[in-house]
This record gives sequence, C-alpha cells and structure tokens, in this order.
Amino acid sequence: MPRITIDDRMVEAAEGLTLLRAAESAGIHIPHFCYHPAFAPEGSCRMCLIEIEGLPKLELACSTLVKEGLKVRTKSAKVVEARKGVLEFLLADHPLDCPICDQAGECKLQDYFDEYGLFRSQFKETKEKREKKFKLGRNLILDRERCILCTRCVRFLDEITKTQEAGILNRGIRSEVGVFESEVIDNNYSGNLAQICPVGAITDLDFRFKTRVWFLESRESVCPLCSRGCNIVIDSHPGHPRTPRPRRVYRIRARENPDVNSYWICDYGRYGYAYLDEGRQAQLVWKKGGRETRLSWDKTSQILTEKIRSLGFRGKTSRIGIVLHTNLTNEELFLADRVFRKGLKVEKFFLADPPPGKGDEFLLTSDRTANRRGLQEAGPPVQAPDLKSLSELDLLLIFGHYLAAGTSPGELKNALEKVETKALFSSHRSDLDGLVDFVIPVPVIAEKSGTLTNIDGRVQSFTSGLEFKGEGLPEWRALLDLAKELRIEAKYFWPLASPEAVFRALQKEIPFYR
Amino acid sequence: MDEKVLTQHFGLKELFRIEVYREQGGYKAVEKALKEMTPVAVLDEVKRANLRGRGGAGFPAGVKWGFVPQHVPKPRYLCVNADEGEPGTFKDRYLLTYNPHLLLEGTILASYAVGINSAFIYVRGEYEKVTLRLEGAIAEAYRNGYLGKQILGTDFSLDVVVQRGAGAYICGEETALLESLEGKRGYPRLKPPFPASVGLFQCPTVINNVETLSNIPFIVQNGAGWFIKKGLPKDGGTRIFGVSGMIKNPGIYELPLGTKLRTIIFEHAGGMKEGKQLKAVIPGGMSAPILTEDEIDLPMDFDSLAAAGSMLGSAAIIVIDRETSILDVLKAVSKFYSHESCGQCTPCRIGTAWINKIVKRVAGGEGERGDIDMIIRLASNIRGKTLCPLGDAAALPVLSICQKFRRELEGYLPHA
Repeated sequence: MPRITIDDRMVEAAEGLTLLRAAESAGIHIPHFCYHPAFAPEGSCRMCLIEIEGLPKLELACSTLVKEGLKVRTKSAKVVEARKGVLEFLLADHPLDCPICDQAGECKLQDYFDEYGLFRSQFKETKEKREKKFKLGRNLILDRERCILCTRCVRFLDEITKTQEAGILNRGIRSEVGVFESEVIDNNYSGNLAQICPVGAITDLDFRFKTRVWFLESRESVCPLCSRGCNIVIDSHPGHPRTPRPRRVYRIRARENPDVNSYWICDYGRYGYAYLDEGRQAQLVWKKGGRETRLSWDKTSQILTEKIRSLGFRGKTSRIGIVLHTNLTNEELFLADRVFRKGLKVEKFFLADPPPGKGDEFLLTSDRTANRRGLQEAGPPVQAPDLKSLSELDLLLIFGHYLAAGTSPGELKNALEKVETKALFSSHRSDLDGLVDFVIPVPVIAEKSGTLTNIDGRVQSFTSGLEFKGEGLPEWRALLDLAKELRIEAKYFWPLASPEAVFRALQKEIPFYR
Repeated sequence: MDEKVLTQHFGLKELFRIEVYREQGGYKAVEKALKEMTPVAVLDEVKRANLRGRGGAGFPAGVKWGFVPQHVPKPRYLCVNADEGEPGTFKDRYLLTYNPHLLLEGTILASYAVGINSAFIYVRGEYEKVTLRLEGAIAEAYRNGYLGKQILGTDFSLDVVVQRGAGAYICGEETALLESLEGKRGYPRLKPPFPASVGLFQCPTVINNVETLSNIPFIVQNGAGWFIKKGLPKDGGTRIFGVSGMIKNPGIYELPLGTKLRTIIFEHAGGMKEGKQLKAVIPGGMSAPILTEDEIDLPMDFDSLAAAGSMLGSAAIIVIDRETSILDVLKAVSKFYSHESCGQCTPCRIGTAWINKIVKRVAGGEGERGDIDMIIRLASNIRGKTLCPLGDAAALPVLSICQKFRRELEGYLPHA
C-alpha cells in the first residue's frame, strides 16, 4: 500500500483512495460540504482544499488520489485561510436564521464556522432574497437562502434513484435548486434528501419545527418494515411528549451499511414510525366470564403452564397450536421451535403475517415483515391458519395481531370460541383482543434486542432503540419462562437468560448461523 | 506585409469559397499529409513547431495531441473551440468569416494526426452569420471530397459537425464546452481526468482553438523550421492581435510573436485616437492583468507577459485612455465575471457577486474606507481556489486594477 504523510503522520492508504478518505481513516477529518461518499467527487464547495508539498496551488482532498510519498497538510495556515475564505463566502449570503432552523445542532456550516471561522462578518451589501418555503417534494421544503448549492440532492436523484426530478436552474449567484416543470419530488427515497443536505436548506415536513435536535436521543436499530433490514437510527425524545399527538419518536434516519442499504432508507421505512406509539397494548389482562382482570406475567405463565401440562399428561399436545409471525427475532422463532416442536412435540404451527405490499427495484421488498428468512432457517415448519384446524384446538398461543386479517371476524370468532384457552402476545390492539382469554403486551422490534435475517440471508443484531413501557415482556423471555416453568430440558433452557445466549445456542444447532 | 500567414489573403473577394481558397494553394497541405505523410509525421512536425494554443492558456498543441491514447477501444474526437467569448477578442470571428476553409483544413490535418474521424465545431451562440458561412464551407468541403468517407481516396474519413452554443462565457472553458456539446448544463468538469483521456462522451478528445488549428496547414506545408522563424523558438508563428479601445485603427493585426506591445499600439494600430492619451492596456483579453502605460515596452509572447505578471491570453489588446475612469473599467470587469460565473463552485459564485456589489456601491458614491482592501482580500480568496480557470480570470484583473490604480480608486472613497 502506498504510504503518505498527513500532517507529519505516516499513513498507509489503499491505492485509488482519495486523500479525504485516507485522512478520515487516519482519524483526521477534512471539512467538506459537497463531497458524499456515495457519489463521485464534485469538487464544487472548495471546503476540502489541502496543501500538497511541491504543488503551487491548494488541491482538493475529495478528488485527489493517494500516491506514494505525497506529503499533505490539512491544517497549515494556508489551508485554514482558504477554509475561512470559503466559509466567509458561504455565510455572506446566508440568512443566519439558525434559531429557527431545524438543522441547527447538526449543521455542517454551523459546525465548521465554530471550528474554522469565528470571524465577524464584513459583508456590508444587501443579501440576496430567495424563496424560503419552496415545496420541493411531497415531504420536503427547500429554503433557497440557506442552500449552499452543494448539489448533493441533485446528484442523489441523478445517481441513486435515477429519477432526475431536480437540477440547478439559472446561473452564477442566481443559481438555485429547482424541479422541472412544476413537478415535485415524490419518489420512495425522497426523505434521504433532507438527511444528506449538509445545511438546513432541505427540511423534512414531518420533522420541521417539531423539536431541536439536541433534545433527541439517538439509538441504532434495524428497520422492520420490510425484509431488507435497513440500518437505521431512531431519534426519540424520552422526556418531552410530542404535541399534539404524544409520540416518542421524532424521526427515523438511515444509518450507513454498505452491504445492506448503503446510506439510504426508503420513505416507507422513514415515515412509517407512527405504529411505534399508536395503538399499543398497555395492559396484561385476563378475560374471564366477561370480566377483565389485571394479571401479572408470573401468574399468567403459571396458568398457561398448567394448561399445557394437563394437555401433555393426556397425550394431547396435538391439540396445542401456535400462531407465529415473521416480525419475531431469530431467537424467538428458534425458541418457539425448540420449546414447542422439539420439547413438547407440538405439530400445529401457523403463520399469520401482514399482507405483502409492493416492492421497488431498490431497497423496499414486497415482504412487509423483517424476518421471513429467519423463520425458514430457525423456526418450525408453518402452515396457513385455517379456521377448521384452529377450532379443533384446546390451547392456542397467538403471537402477533395479524390473524384477524384475511378472515371474516364472525367466522374467526366462531372458530376461536371452540378453543378452550387462547393467549395473545401482541404489541398492538386489534380485533383479536376481544376473542382471546389472555392479552400479553409485547415490545416491537425497535424495543427489543436480538437478531434478524434479511432477505439476502444477512444476520443483523440490534439492541433496543426505545424503552418498552407495556406491562408484558418480550416474546423470547415469555418462551423461556414457559420452558422453565414446564421444566423441559432444564439444563438446556435454564442458562439461557438473554437474546445473546439464545443466539449462541441457535448457532450450535443451526449451521446457517455459524 | 509579408509576415502575415493566416490573414495573408484576407483582401481577396470571396476567399470563403473553396475555389478561391484552392487558387491560393488551399487544401494542398491536406493532399501532402494524406498522401505523403504518416499521422505520426504530422504530429511530430506540429510538436517541433512549438505551436502554442491561441485560445488563452498557451498550451503547446502538439504536446496536447500527444496525450491522446492511441490504443483504447473508443473513438477519439476533436472539438474546435469557436466559442470566442473573452471580452475584447474577435480574431476567430475574422478567421471563420473570411477564411473558414483554413480552419477546416487544419481540422482535417489535426484529425489525421491524432486518428480522429469525428470533429465538432462549437461556435459561440451569437455568431449566427459565422455559423452559416462555416456550414457553407463544410458543405463545399464534402462536395469536393475533403470531408466524408475516404478523403482523397485514402483510408482516412472525417465528419465535421457544427454546434452553436447558447451564449454562456463559461462554455468556452474546454470541459464546460464538452458538457454543453453533450447536451448538458455548461458546468466545467473536475480535472483530472483531462479531456485527452476522458473527454467528449467519455472518450479521448482534443480541444483546440480556431486560430491554433488554422496554423496547422502552414506548418505541414512549410515545415516546423519555417514556422518557428515566423515567431519565437519557444513560441512559433504569428499571432492575430485584436486591438480595440481608444485607438485610431481598431481591428486585427497579424504579427510575429514577440512584437512589442508599444509597436502594435502606436505603429500598427495607428496610435491613440485624436486627443486621447494612453493610461492602461489590457493585453490578452479581459481576464489578463492590466498593464500601465509604463509597462507597454513588452514583447507580446506568452513567456514575456507571464514574467511581467500578466498574460498573452487571447491576444486581445484593450486600450484605455486617461479620460476613462479606472472605476468604470473595474465595474465592467466585475459585472462581467459576476454575470458569467456559472455558479458551480463557491468562491467564484459568491466572490464575484460580492466584489461586483462593492464596486457598484463605490460607483454609486457610497464607498467606504477599506473597500479596496476588501476587494483585494475577496479576489485573493477566489484566486487559485476555484474549480475552473474562470475564478482566476475574474480575480486577476480585479487584483491588478486595485493594486496598480489604487490611488485613483481611493479618490472615489470618502477621506478620513
């Protein structure tokens, strides 16, 4: 590998790498606006100019390639002066409306000024007046006064979605980002534009004016809304409920993963977060003789265990049925298989998922759940739920609230009435709540830990991005508690106390996960 | 005057017609090259002639051709830069109007030397009549077998297409020209890669100025030694100087490279207009740093002007008299570059507009102390920091005017 010197430090960098990337991997940040690793270098913001020994002019770090022996300075007086110059130019026409700008706190212009600028403005002329609320897209507002014309948005639409809705209109100081022929940007990836905008020029209607970013807590997670498994960041606001609708989550952002979603997520995943706070199950209840009783999980698991045991004693485990769905983690699907099929010889596993949607050619798949592949690899064999099979059961454990979809409510009610005991583990309220004996709230994927297997067979682990606040518990814990209560394979199940431990057990049994 | 080369037959009626052009020995160089010389021999002759680009940058044409890779499985292209937009420059218009076949002959020779079968002539949008005449000449050349398939019965074929620009100065910058030719917005490209390897439609491309190519037939016909004798050893041939401003006889003057600026102004162009006195000269198109009256004893060639802190550029000489306010010159310069900045990169987009605003304010009588220093500081922040040469083109004349005429400019500012 070629060796270069960056700020008197010897650095080894791969051939073909740009100096900006080489410096970055050596822990030296070179400021930039227009450069984005997903696009070809543009070289227009001029912020990444650096000094290369032996060359008369400053050179671009974003486009100059590593070459053996290059001596690079990223903090010399000449470089810092050039950066100041660029910042001064950009700020000359900038409205400086940071107090009402959503980008404040995560704005590159603000950050770099803080780091390299800190000069007093010498701009005495009249600032250019431009459109401040241009509706650029279905979810996007463009403030042309804040825009620094880095063209990341234009290049995203050219190079990534290839939809090419936007371009630069006019010339020189009158240049502006615009869309063609009164179109608006309305593709399934438009939300990424607000995320890659380095300043507050493109803001997201969904996030605009709702909070300040420094109040947000950012946690990493995996998007469960299709089987791609895009890596995301969940920005939530634990202390301050959102008005007028009380929600914890303020936005979902794409998190870089070159092997899965690059730097992007789709709008379906970005904006479809209302379910995290809406329609959630709150209480663990037991409905007996038309009365609802609050119950603890301990008590519930005892009752369920007794029921299972009594069926087991009578050799009737064939009359136990489990309804699964594919938003369960690998660990949970594995435990369902391990406890009920292998442990109790239960044979009837049903799958009730949300109906598939339309996929696109890029990230969104037609699956609307996260772990169909995980079910194939780690779960039990499943069948479609038919009312006749369901009605012949004595005990039905239903995971998920999708069973009601696709059947007529009356028929499902008739079928379930014939089942002696029905327990529902669900994150959201649904028509099913009225048809079962036990309702046990469970967290959604954003609230738990574990692993998922995406459409390409890639196993991704995640930890909770939000706190689970219901009375219930995660399904993996419920399944383990039942196994422990039933005292099947005690030596095997007792040491399993976390999703990590379950995953290690799963790895031992299923070669796919090794 | 016998030193004229490109413009020697300009006095002839209808030189633009192929018959008249051929009567003067036109297309003999093509016949010689295609029948007697290998492409490499043509290339070597041009290299030896030290023909430097006439567009402004002065890059040796032969060296440029030599950069084009010969063994890639892609077509190679020639783009003729006829987007003559530098203020003060009008030499190419004369060449295209009066002697279009000379350019076509040069185009054929360059294409032959580099192995090119498609050439594009990108003509400035405003040059409508020029375009018509050029298209007429191309049609004649096709009819007479100098263009098209198997030229003069050889294996060499060449098609020439004329494309008109839409009036943007920036499209004279070679990579912006390529973008424009491809049908895109005329934004300069990031270099490297250079057009010689990745140019038009991502293929190896040569881009030459009209005057540059018009010299080729003479080099092929008379040899490199003859050409160098016409000019200077490192800077062969003649130059067409376009003289304008407060001068008795504005127009084009084809003279050997190295002719003194004073000689051009006072002998060839007849000196200052009646009752006018020389104050300053812009020697190479508006983007060249200004020279004061004390500095005009310079030989006009690339190296001498570079040594004097200016540049030969497009050899457009703008003569400024003492009655012309230097502030008006500055105003014209800053307005032009602010208007013509493409807006792609930050320093040029905002810097040129900012400078223009200050100059306008000063001209409006609202100047403040420190404005000149401010302009100098801003121009220095543009210079050498932009994506394409337009930044330097905008900054250098502003800097030179502010530095050399500081006292006059300060006269427009309120005194302490």
